[in-house]
Amino acid sequence: MQDNSNENKDTPAPFKSGINPDYKGKHAECDGGAQIAETKYAGRQFFAGTLTGDYRDFGDYPWRWYLLADLSAKPEAYTQEAVWCDEGSLILMDN
Amino acid sequence: MSDPMHTLLCEKLGIEYPVVAFTHCKDVAVAVINAGGFAVLGEAMHPPEHIRADIKWIRERIGDKKFGIDLVLPASVPEEKTVEELMAMIPQEQRDFEQQIKAKYDIPDPKEAPDLHTWGGLDQSRALAQLEVVFEEKVPVFASGLGSPKFLLERAHKQGMMVWGLVGTPRQAQKQIEAGVDVIIAQGYDAAGHTGQIGTLSIVPQVVDLAEEKGVPILAAGGITTGRHLVAALALGAAGVWTGSLWLASRESDVNLPLKERLIECETTDTMYSNCISGYTMRTTRCPWHDEWLSPQAPPVLKAPLQMMLSSDYIQASLDYQRKDLMTEAAGQGIHYITEMKPARQILSDIVEEALDVFDRFAGDDDDE
Repeated sequence: MQDNSNENKDTPAPFKSGINPDYKGKHAECDGGAQIAETKYAGRQFFAGTLTGDYRDFGDYPWRWYLLADLSAKPEAYTQEAVWCDEGSLILMDN
Repeated sequence: MSDPMHTLLCEKLGIEYPVVAFTHCKDVAVAVINAGGFAVLGEAMHPPEHIRADIKWIRERIGDKKFGIDLVLPASVPEEKTVEELMAMIPQEQRDFEQQIKAKYDIPDPKEAPDLHTWGGLDQSRALAQLEVVFEEKVPVFASGLGSPKFLLERAHKQGMMVWGLVGTPRQAQKQIEAGVDVIIAQGYDAAGHTGQIGTLSIVPQVVDLAEEKGVPILAAGGITTGRHLVAALALGAAGVWTGSLWLASRESDVNLPLKERLIECETTDTMYSNCISGYTMRTTRCPWHDEWLSPQAPPVLKAPLQMMLSSDYIQASLDYQRKDLMTEAAGQGIHYITEMKPARQILSDIVEEALDVFDRFAGDDDDE
């Protein structure tokens, strides 16, 4: 699961947390990825799982991220059990 | 027949030719823009003040012409681990294999160890700091090479900025079109780096169809290196082309010289779609690292990011010691047509001339002497 240790330090977390009950338990897929570290290349990743409803907002715009857990599909290279996903890259499957 | 090269993209950007250069070299960007094309500078690896300096440098050389900045917006973020924790996760079998490769090809340690402390790539805070510079500088075009730019659209549009998104599937395109992205780059499997699974000829018309109702211009990406490719992209309904490999060996490019020579030598079959570089599949030029990991004696490729950590010494050493025999670079299948180290202006004009010749041929205009 996500490491939340930075929430316990003296410095404030760089995000605001919350829960969206409308998203809790919804099946979703996430298309996209992130830059491959140490390179200028983008890495594509695909996840599917169940949203917990937890979200984090970064910045003033804001940039919202939802926690996707119980992963039923994830990249072969991905070792974690849950992943934070950019709202704009999420597809809700129950709609 | 109206000018087939003057597309909606040309109208929106005030450019002469519907050719967009995606480059990590600001000299290439300036040369292409001043020659009548458009350029987007990839700045994902740079800290905010470096990006600001590059923007100033470009503006000093292109005047009031438009340009773009590309950043990578992460779409998914896993648990964070320290570099030490990650290094400790590399099994001995793969460490030994890496050492065997280094011994076999006489590869010394890099002059400076790759800075592993940036592991984790972009996180949200870093991406937001980079974005802030793009907003403060009112860059005319912001392109997201990966990840949805939906959250920043409102602010960008208020400032008069255009927002472009790169997609590898029709579904991603649909979401970005619905969100209000201004230009969609439909990238096919032929492309360099980490690509989707759909070929360029298949994805471009699908995305064009999805975007038709809203009139969103589509750029075709992946394997585009000639005027014929440009015409084909326009025939598929694209408003222009997004090109990357095309500029790697240009005279202005800051890619080091032996690597440019290697790129010029490469054939389409010399690009490989493999996970041995980063742990994720990506298209790069073939090198001994690929060959060794394809051999029956090779251990399993590690998961990302461990495989990238394992390959980083090899890649860094190939550059530090100018070892062309070892070098690799992300390159698309259109690399066959990269055969000379030409100035960027010449590359653009050659493509445009070839495209115009094709249009003339289609129009049956073969009377000119």
